[in-house]
Amino acid sequence: MAAMNSLPTCMLRAMWVLTVLCSVSCSVSCAGPRDTAVSQEGSSGKAAGVKTAALERAERRLFDGAPPIIPHEALGASCVSCHNERGMAVEDLGFSPPSPHELTGGMSAMARCEQCHVYQRSHEPWVETTFVGQPQDLRRGTRLYPGAPPTMPHAKLMRENCLACHSGAAAREEIRTTHPERQRCEQCHLQQIEAPMLKSFPI
Amino acid sequence: MKIDRRRFLTGVGAGTSVAAFSCSDREEAERLAASDVAQGLPDLTWSKAPCRFCGTGCGVEVGVADGKVQAVRGDEASPVNRGLLCVKGYHLPAFLYGKDRLTQPQRRFPDGRLETISWDEALDLVAQHFSRTLEESGPESVAVYGSGQWGVHDGYAALKWVKGGMRSNNIDPNARLCMASAVMGFVTQFQSDEPMGCYQDFEAGDDFVLWGNNMAEMHPVLFSRILEHRRQDPNVRIVDIATRRTPTSQYADLYVEFKPGSDLALANGILHLLVENDRVDQAFVRENVVFRRGIEDLDQIGFGAFGDQAERYVFKDRAEEASFDDFRAFLKDYTPARVAEISEVPEAQIRALAELYGNRGRGVVSLWCMGVNQHTRGTWMNNLINNLHLLTGKIGRPGANPFSLTGQPSACGTAREVGTLSNRLPADMVVMKEDHRRKAEEIWGLEAGTINPKPGYHAVDMFRAFSRGDVKAMWIQVTNPWVSLPNLHRWERKPGDGRFLVVSDIYPTPTTEVADLILPSAAWVEREGVFGNSERRTQQWNQAVDPPGQAKEDAWQIIEVAKRMGMGHLFPWEGDWHEPMFEEYRSFTLGNGKDLASYAQLKETRGMMWPVVDGKETAYRYSAGHDPYVKKAEGVHFYKAKGYGERAAVWLRPYHPPAEVPDDAYPFWLTTGRVLEHWHTGSMTRRIRQLHQAVPSAYVELNRADAAAASIKSGDRVRLTTRRGSLELLAEVDGRGAPPRGSLFVPFFDESLKINELTLDAMDNISKEPDYKKCAARIEKV
Repeated sequence: MAAMNSLPTCMLRAMWVLTVLCSVSCSVSCAGPRDTAVSQEGSSGKAAGVKTAALERAERRLFDGAPPIIPHEALGASCVSCHNERGMAVEDLGFSPPSPHELTGGMSAMARCEQCHVYQRSHEPWVETTFVGQPQDLRRGTRLYPGAPPTMPHAKLMRENCLACHSGAAAREEIRTTHPERQRCEQCHLQQIEAPMLKSFPI
Repeated sequence: MKIDRRRFLTGVGAGTSVAAFSCSDREEAERLAASDVAQGLPDLTWSKAPCRFCGTGCGVEVGVADGKVQAVRGDEASPVNRGLLCVKGYHLPAFLYGKDRLTQPQRRFPDGRLETISWDEALDLVAQHFSRTLEESGPESVAVYGSGQWGVHDGYAALKWVKGGMRSNNIDPNARLCMASAVMGFVTQFQSDEPMGCYQDFEAGDDFVLWGNNMAEMHPVLFSRILEHRRQDPNVRIVDIATRRTPTSQYADLYVEFKPGSDLALANGILHLLVENDRVDQAFVRENVVFRRGIEDLDQIGFGAFGDQAERYVFKDRAEEASFDDFRAFLKDYTPARVAEISEVPEAQIRALAELYGNRGRGVVSLWCMGVNQHTRGTWMNNLINNLHLLTGKIGRPGANPFSLTGQPSACGTAREVGTLSNRLPADMVVMKEDHRRKAEEIWGLEAGTINPKPGYHAVDMFRAFSRGDVKAMWIQVTNPWVSLPNLHRWERKPGDGRFLVVSDIYPTPTTEVADLILPSAAWVEREGVFGNSERRTQQWNQAVDPPGQAKEDAWQIIEVAKRMGMGHLFPWEGDWHEPMFEEYRSFTLGNGKDLASYAQLKETRGMMWPVVDGKETAYRYSAGHDPYVKKAEGVHFYKAKGYGERAAVWLRPYHPPAEVPDDAYPFWLTTGRVLEHWHTGSMTRRIRQLHQAVPSAYVELNRADAAAASIKSGDRVRLTTRRGSLELLAEVDGRGAPPRGSLFVPFFDESLKINELTLDAMDNISKEPDYKKCAARIEKV
């Protein structure tokens, strides 16, 4: 990769939100077109060929909320044999992140991984696209007072297994929990996303 | 987005490690933190819409920022999908943003050159051609070919223009290629189209019998509901009756493999055992069922593809009264031994299926889609499945229903309910009946006698007529027949042949390539609309973004042409016509058991299942306690079937062989279908990178033993040949689907490898739906 400003916009935006997340004080004020800000920053140099976790995450998704594609070839084993509740490290192969859906109920989301996650057998698009996906919003949950447990800043559906992303080898440092042993996250961390637009229709 | 720069990890170990949260991440984070960036992202504006792809009708929330759709999420409040989507649904928003969107009307000159013209010029051109053709050659020479992807407004505007304005009945949808047999199944038995059950059956049933239906790939979210039900209740069973192993088979408790076309024998074999073993619910049959039989002679019926029938196929069935004793006598021949011989299904499995359908303690839901419908006896096969439920009384109750699934988002809502077929009018009415025509004329404010009583061309005959030159002006909207029609070489065309073809679409396709005029359409949330899904649920959505360039919604295009032809009185509404047009259409449905919800109510809800009476939807038609048209004490009441004394008809339907069977020259069966990642002819899903890259091109699946015998390996180039054409493809052995020996499968989404050049345009005698699922082929290594 020659220069950061040649990267897809959505990836740059994803990196930019990472910044917000990482700046613990979160006191950066608003100024200027965001993409410009990122690409200017980004172009100031970075070791060629090294991807940040945020970039890699963005690359695998059409937009934040879309299921990631499968970034490896079929290995002839069932997905959940490696992508289980805790994930699995295999020497010389890497670490398979755990499934965040392990505890998802209601729609049998665990039964058929390839319904949403697909292998990529080609690396070339058929027709170029102008689609720009929503980048990952990594704002933190709010706290009532310093020391209070933060609220959950994202929707819980399909991500019921909190520890999949918030602990263990695949957890990004900035969102890694200090207390994985407590298990019942929702006891203290509440989902705060907006309610569905309309009231649910009773059936 | 420069996606070609993207590099993938090709194996878990290759490339950067997944857990590389090294100093580079931190450095970058710190560097960016020091810069001036805004805090937080702009919030997306969310609105509701049904998914654009299949007939399931999943609810999605559409996230918009900067005037573009940037995300979708499964709508947790939708009773259809409860927040879950499939891979197509999750990648939905990108289908709007392919770089080659059509944004301007374009006219083609005889030398093939395209010229961008204004809407005024384009609409004038359409109006002139249609007016002149009407004047010179009459209403039989104009045609509109529409779609189950038409929104309700588009289909209604087209129907009104063709039948009420041009006095023609040459309007037919691509749903003729997919749902017509299900329509005729319901119509011949219940005298009203569409299923009695709903998706709640997926949590209420005990046994789910899939007739030729690869639900895991074609209706994935509904299959998830069944799988979850089985996870919670281990007594639940899934039976996969199929002609090849698919991802669905992996989840089946019983896999039943039959020879293509022999499902007719298998279903009769099950009926035979139900009767012989006294598993018929006689009380239910006495109260609710009549028996009928029609023309059964193979020579008299034919296949619509050979001899004179290859040009125009007309067949009219008759309904003779019959009795239960006739039925028993008719079934005498379908002994397990004989059925096993025809179908190659082991006798034990036939008996197991009869036991399952006949078990009074268990609710059975039969599910089917294209396997049953795209069948030279598709209506018969629909009849036989419905018969299984009528004979056992497993119908009209939660968890016990025959349930026909649909493949397009508004095959039910538009094609079937609005009635955009050559013989139909809205809400179960037909042009052949005078009182039906009269009612339509009254609602439309037209003089009595305006509507033409003679049915027009059905889809396949419409294209045959266009190729002959009998149809001289044709308008195609939201569909891609030059990829999806069977026996494609028949329809080859060069613009400038004296006929006039208009195509409205959102992308260039093989169909726009042969058009004289291309009109750019607005899609999905670029306009306001209504779809109706497989469970009778009508779903409305609002416009969320502007269409690109000059693109306009299909209904608008039709209204503007109608006005230019002096038919503006058909569309009298000032300003925003979406609500008043829908309310006019709705007036057809009120009081006859097909009552739609008001537009205002549709706006407020996640869709409503008709009949909607007093603002309440109906989960189970014909069923006391659910359907407001049925009195409490009646149990089940088929009140729409006036012609049968308000009972349902069980039809005696024999086994007929398929139109073409393998022989020495063409020793393989060829079946075609879809894959999870692509939808129909792929013009939308192939423009979504993740989906295209998952399945970049069509391929041919073959059995391992056949492959070994011909020294073919996965990835080898092979040539597939039928009596209609030849195609080179890559072979796939032991892929996601595994056909049995002697059988091949090819998906039809790939416009550069058009398998429909090889398929046969034989069709169902009653529904006139072509059979894409079986013809004879040979395969050789290239």
